[in-house]
Amino acid sequence: MKSIIIGGGKVGYNLLKLLKERGYDVTLVERNEDVCKKIAEDTDADIICGDGTDISVLQDAGILRADIIASVTGNDEENLVVCQIAKKGFHIRKSIARINNPKNIETFKLLGVDQTVCSTAVIASLIEYEFDRDVCRIVQTFDRGAMILVEVQVNETNRWLNSFVKDLTLPPQCTLASILRNETVIFPRGDTQILLNDNIHIITNQSIFPEIKKLIQNGDTRHEKRKK
Amino acid sequence: MYIIIVGCGRLGSALSMELSDAGHNISVVDRDSKKFELLGSGFNGLSVKGIEYDNKVLEEAGIDHADYLLSLTPDDNLNIMVSLIAKECFSVPRVISRVNEFSKQRVYELMEIETINPTELISYLIKSKIEGIQK
Repeated sequence: MKSIIIGGGKVGYNLLKLLKERGYDVTLVERNEDVCKKIAEDTDADIICGDGTDISVLQDAGILRADIIASVTGNDEENLVVCQIAKKGFHIRKSIARINNPKNIETFKLLGVDQTVCSTAVIASLIEYEFDRDVCRIVQTFDRGAMILVEVQVNETNRWLNSFVKDLTLPPQCTLASILRNETVIFPRGDTQILLNDNIHIITNQSIFPEIKKLIQNGDTRHEKRKK
Repeated sequence: MYIIIVGCGRLGSALSMELSDAGHNISVVDRDSKKFELLGSGFNGLSVKGIEYDNKVLEEAGIDHADYLLSLTPDDNLNIMVSLIAKECFSVPRVISRVNEFSKQRVYELMEIETINPTELISYLIKSKIEGIQK
């Protein structure tokens, strides 16, 4: 599969190495000559020194036969323009844009670039979840937060400790998927009791997540303060 | 006419004053508030400081009731992004952008953005002067 990466910074370079390892045919486009040279010394990938928002540079990079294009520069305007060129000019099946400023997520969506990754928001939320790790954490995010899988570790302060599943008051957009107890998987029914050290897996969405955190914390408002 | 001018450099500021003197409602957007000094004291339009493609900034500049948006910054990608937002998110009736690099002309065409290429125009003027067509 032919893919093109625009931007040879930390994200672009690591993505290049990763895709190379997976056996993709990758071409990297970077405008800074020194950066290009450095990357060329480390890898045997095709590197083009040029402006990724220039149509002729993209043609040199082989956009005509590319399946995927990922624009991961530190400049949101540039990433947007690359994706628009790929979409409108070359009908690339998949173009992915990195967003640096979370404020621009909405704008990208409005302009029809729907495959986006906001590096800043992702890192910020990962660090935030590390804070809450001991209580509950997001294991997997699907469709940008429309559905998430949350893991709850039941400790002594958990409000659900020793209750039966049927007695729990849960928000509507939330369902208990499984309980992991001593390496056995339990598929919870109404009469399942929640015990100490259980690992509960919950399917919910991003907006309900804070509510669940609040539900299971026993009078502990520590996490609430930060949330607002 | 209500006209938004994005980028308050030499071109942006000169045009703002010109259009403002001609009786149009002008609002100028630039991320660098120092640039507004170029406008001089006679300018009676609105000047908004902020990131040019930020919807909030554009709303503050009055994009919902603008007749024209002119994107005149020296950064082609920025001009393209602002023009696309103006056209597709706010349906501004007429959007014109400045082309800086010749090679980007095709990108503007691809996005169906109306353009003016100052370099091309000036080259043509100078050439005409030399060849005497202007006489």
